[in-house]
Amino acid sequence: MIRKGAISTIFGLALFAMTGVSPSSAAPLTIGYSDWPGWVAFQVAIDKGWFKEAGVDVNFQWFDYSASMDAFAAGKIDANLMTNGDTLATGAGGGKGIMIMLTDYSSGNDMIVGKPGLKSLKDLMGKKVGIEVGVVEHLLLVHGLKELKMTEKDVTLVNAKTNETPQVLASGQVDAIGAWQPISGQAMKGLPGSRPLYTSAKAPGLIYDVLAASPASLAAHKDDYAKIIKVWDKVVHYINDPKTQAHAVKIMSKRVGLTPQEYLPLLKGTHLIDVAEGKKTFKKGAGLDSLYGSTKNADDFNVANAVYKQAQDVNSYIDPSLTMAVK
Amino acid sequence: MRSWFQVLRPISPRARLTLGCMSFVLPVVVWCIVSYVPAVWHPQMLITDPGSAEYLQAGMHMDRHAFADAVKEAEDDHKPPPKGVPSNPIYLPAPHEVAAAFYTAFVTPPPTQDGPWLHQSLWHSIQVIFWGFVISSILGVPIGILCGTYAGFARLNEPFIEFFRYLPAPAFGALAVAILGIYDGPKITIIVIGTFFQQVLIIANTTRKLDVALVEAALTLGIKKLKLLSRVVIPGILPDLYRDQRILLGWAWTYLIVAELIGTSTGITFFITQQARYQHFATVYAAIMMIGIIGLGTDIVLAILGKRLFPWDRTLDKSA
Repeated sequence: MIRKGAISTIFGLALFAMTGVSPSSAAPLTIGYSDWPGWVAFQVAIDKGWFKEAGVDVNFQWFDYSASMDAFAAGKIDANLMTNGDTLATGAGGGKGIMIMLTDYSSGNDMIVGKPGLKSLKDLMGKKVGIEVGVVEHLLLVHGLKELKMTEKDVTLVNAKTNETPQVLASGQVDAIGAWQPISGQAMKGLPGSRPLYTSAKAPGLIYDVLAASPASLAAHKDDYAKIIKVWDKVVHYINDPKTQAHAVKIMSKRVGLTPQEYLPLLKGTHLIDVAEGKKTFKKGAGLDSLYGSTKNADDFNVANAVYKQAQDVNSYIDPSLTMAVK
Repeated sequence: MRSWFQVLRPISPRARLTLGCMSFVLPVVVWCIVSYVPAVWHPQMLITDPGSAEYLQAGMHMDRHAFADAVKEAEDDHKPPPKGVPSNPIYLPAPHEVAAAFYTAFVTPPPTQDGPWLHQSLWHSIQVIFWGFVISSILGVPIGILCGTYAGFARLNEPFIEFFRYLPAPAFGALAVAILGIYDGPKITIIVIGTFFQQVLIIANTTRKLDVALVEAALTLGIKKLKLLSRVVIPGILPDLYRDQRILLGWAWTYLIVAELIGTSTGITFFITQQARYQHFATVYAAIMMIGIIGLGTDIVLAILGKRLFPWDRTLDKSA
């Protein structure tokens, strides 16, 4: 009987939800975005009404990053803004996404921060590093160590939530941490004298951020996505143009609750990718300057760290045609 | 003073009021002392002038002894030493900072053009709680009463409910999104899952405490089964049921933060997590207080209403 009770609870709720939000075919494209400068950038287009101008009906929904991936994996949103590595991880779990456009690559925002006295990744030999295992900072650390002919076996990894790394570093129980902005900035503020040992500025293209659409939505709304890509190009130029940058930063900083002065450094650590550069990045290649090479690298890392077991077919996750078609 | 400590005796209305106020004043006084008297704690220094230390910036927090080392180092080199004032860690803002943040939060325009103001976010949270609690109650209260009345019914349900109530409601988050989408559906579900199972058990127990003599008398007088419920059991437990519901409503509130993290970011939780991400802790405390004020306010209103509804119930006087 109570099973019945429990089931009817869920059933009742389903009815409630259906009356509240009814996904219909005429509904706008729903895209998830979260707190990362390359994605907050879309706020400029939203606030300025550029999507309406371009004749495309999109509904951007603000999420916590991991909640956005849950919603995308469950097929509740049409497309999501995420990293290329996480697109693979979501896809391996059954929520396939096709990367149709690049928003940016991290250029300094992701960093390994060492406690006072440490100067480079070399100094980490035999030391403890607080890092969220399997997440982008881990990838960054492995990449940085590789350049020095070291491996992650030369350090001791301490698994820590990225959000908590400032406290972990300040506690003195580790020698370095890995985090992205603004968390990495807080870590350095919280332990004066600590400094970045390695940042994503030295590994451009290691982590690409992309717009990934579900295959079904992409097939049904190709024209709409093409329009979104054109709007994005406009956004990048608006943000990068010194004449309009201040206004863009104002819109973006407001979205996340910071002042423009606080926000500017976060934007500088992100290299936004316009359509022209996107076209180059979509060319096949084995290096990190190609989305294919970078995603293959992320795939190897994900498999090595048991994010998922089966290597993914990288090509099937990438569709350059819409970006390439923009004139 | 002595009258405060009499066992199981009501205290005078005056003492009640004084003590009630004190229960709020005392923690605030402790907070003020920790915040405004540097000798009490203040384990860090807030840098006001970095002096010759290039790795420091004004506005940084630094441990006291690390700061002392930095000063000594600079003095040994005959360079201007850094200056600072004792401060608490960034996660313990002073009362006046929280009060200012409380005010600012309400008058700051929303981050986006069509975004919600803070009071709209709060209202959204209240609606999520309301629906979660109503749906849970529509099912939980009747099932609880039936379980409390009929031992067979209880045996059929309670073992499973006992099992289910240990399952952490937040763990159902991704599942709820998969079934109900990204808006309010999954959030309400989490609150229902968090409340419902406790509700059935608590209400069943309350029902069992009904005076058996009442039931026996009714049965002797030849009452029908359904009428026994509607005329004897339910009226008999109503005041206690009402109080249970008040406690359970508070319970529902505790699930709000995890519930609102699921799906799109909305309500007071979006506000709290966004502020915490950038370490605006004064604002975080202010938002936590808003929840407390709404919760306590609702409870006081319900308590007063309870006294009106059930004037014969004396236990209400003691609790409220």
